[in-house]
Amino acid sequence: MIDPAAATLAPLPVAVPLLAGALLLLVGKFLPGRLADALATSAALLTLVIDARLAAQTGQGPLVYWMGHWQPQGGLTLGIALVIGQAQAMLGAFMALLFAASFVFAWGYFEDIRAFFHVLMLILLGALQGFCLTHDLFNLFVWFEVMSVAAFALTAYRLEADPLEGALNFTVTNSIGSFLILGGIALAYSLGNALDFGALAGTLAHRGATDPVAVAAFCMIAIGLLIKGAALPFHFWLADAHAVAPSPVSVIFSGAMVPLALFGLGKIYWDLFEPVPAVQLLMRTLFLALGITTTVIGGLACLRQRHLKRLLAFSTVSHGGILLIGIALSGPVALGGVLLYFIGHGLVKGALFMVAGILLASAGGVDELWLRGRGRPVWPAGILMTLAGVMLGGAPFGLMDSGSRLIGAAAAGRPEKWILMAMVLGTACTGGAVLRGAGRIFLGLGAMAGEEARGPTDEESEKPDRPLWLMMLPTAVLLVAAVGVGMPHADAMVLHAAARFLAWDRSASVGPVGPPLTVGAPQSAHPFMPWLTLALTVLIAAHDLGRSRWPKTWLRATDRVLCSSWFTAIDRTHDGVVGDYVLWILLGTALFSVSSAVALYAG
Amino acid sequence: MNYLPWVTAAWLFAVGIYGVMTSRHYVHLIGCLTVMQSATYIALLSVGYRFGSVAPIFYARSDSTPAVDPVLQAMVLTDIVVGATVTALLLALTLQVHKKRGTVNPERLRPLRP
Repeated sequence: MIDPAAATLAPLPVAVPLLAGALLLLVGKFLPGRLADALATSAALLTLVIDARLAAQTGQGPLVYWMGHWQPQGGLTLGIALVIGQAQAMLGAFMALLFAASFVFAWGYFEDIRAFFHVLMLILLGALQGFCLTHDLFNLFVWFEVMSVAAFALTAYRLEADPLEGALNFTVTNSIGSFLILGGIALAYSLGNALDFGALAGTLAHRGATDPVAVAAFCMIAIGLLIKGAALPFHFWLADAHAVAPSPVSVIFSGAMVPLALFGLGKIYWDLFEPVPAVQLLMRTLFLALGITTTVIGGLACLRQRHLKRLLAFSTVSHGGILLIGIALSGPVALGGVLLYFIGHGLVKGALFMVAGILLASAGGVDELWLRGRGRPVWPAGILMTLAGVMLGGAPFGLMDSGSRLIGAAAAGRPEKWILMAMVLGTACTGGAVLRGAGRIFLGLGAMAGEEARGPTDEESEKPDRPLWLMMLPTAVLLVAAVGVGMPHADAMVLHAAARFLAWDRSASVGPVGPPLTVGAPQSAHPFMPWLTLALTVLIAAHDLGRSRWPKTWLRATDRVLCSSWFTAIDRTHDGVVGDYVLWILLGTALFSVSSAVALYAG
Repeated sequence: MNYLPWVTAAWLFAVGIYGVMTSRHYVHLIGCLTVMQSATYIALLSVGYRFGSVAPIFYARSDSTPAVDPVLQAMVLTDIVVGATVTALLLALTLQVHKKRGTVNPERLRPLRP
């Protein structure tokens, strides 16, 4: 089955970045020139190679690695296991690729401050890998916390007023999330007396099936992960933090960290709480509804931004909503869609944040209205931004499109037809906003600004004298990967991995694995859905850019809708005050409590 | 089962989150976060507590002495380390933001807004 040489690789995706980070911290002060950049990039590439090799080896069964050989003895599971299936290894490889690209992009960016940037980034990479591969509830929390602390520090890296304020909002809200996760872990342990997913799942299925404590434990862990995964109404920190973090860091936040928290939610559900009927009911109703709302509101808020990084942050909220829809739909087709969408979205969004970084470095700003026409000297970035915007807006090619087709196929089997409508609307709004930005910045279109002029903005710039090609290269590489070059069978691959994840991941640590689920070829939702989405995307961009040319009556009509109190309320809730964000978390928690009570009563 | 620790944990969490929402000073807010975190310590310890048992140290006792669950105690220790890290980071951020903005009132620290 698994090559014994591959088994020794199991802990390395976590260990390599952490060791490289420790080494850099030790010698960073003495390293000449760009050696820190080179070392960090090679550590990320090495992690990528290890993950890719693990993905190739785990097609026939997951790899179980007990840390320090603390294997279960006599029914007692004290040790901590990493369970590496193909799905996790694929996500791990993708995240390592994103880090490598981000390190190349940031080449020479942070030279004044030793190698702290690289150290923090490598710790973040190690934590993301650990979070992705772990099979132990408390270990999951530890990685969650390591990733959070590294992310908090990276957000405030520039030590200016706005980044510090964004980092404070990020830290306070996410700390509350981690307290909730810990409370949920305490409740889960009180039921099952175990932390390993396999050992705990056994008792949850037996004793917890009708126990309100199991539902409470799931809800508390889920809220913590949804705060990190930026689902409504827990998403407020994201726009503040992603807008002010250095652009190479935002690449990772939007491309890997936020979606991974949502994948973590899926893992907790499939591995632990799926046998609990009330939790299943919550997943089918509450989580699906949250996913749909997040997709639509995130998309609408995205259209109303002028600060490019903040605009992209709201697009991440919207696409995170689509991932949440996929997780709530459950089943191998939806999970396959989630895996592919995770990777496709991460590549596209990473490239877009890099374009924002290129503009920050070469044009000296990130405000869409101020940048109008100033992107012309770096026109190749405009081509990349347009390509990325088209893919973000649902164009019928690339990994993101394949992922959303799979999620759509899973949704088509459900009676709620508005799942697909929400996906189309959210996708079109975010794609339209990005295309509008590309048209305005690189072509000088859109002299007359619409609602976006009222969005919050800031004057900032990033270290200018970096070679343009070195920033353009990783952006282009990410987009080429996003188009799916060299991956013609991505669909079949993720469906294969998803079916095996669902069949094997839960019990992999406690017993022999059974046969995998078989997945038939999914039926496509609607063949013209991507075209419809793309048409709407272009329409939105054209509407916003051509304001000076459209008839006055048409503009007055659309503005009456878009300026209505309902839409401006979206802006007003994102007010940047941390106390209000915490109040929203509390309201969300109340919503979860009421829904759980109803679900328990109904179940 | 004794409900007192759970009621205490819920109470600490509630007063902590009220403090976070209404705070006018970041150092006070960080204190409130620590109060919230104390709720998690109590919840974890109460899960592992066994009446009439000793601490899980078997140096001078036989291995079969009933002891409280050491896994939870290890978790609380980890939790305390994490809490200290986050608190230190938050205080450092507060100090820096005071240098830049001259205030540590959360209502007046709004990113991207003048």
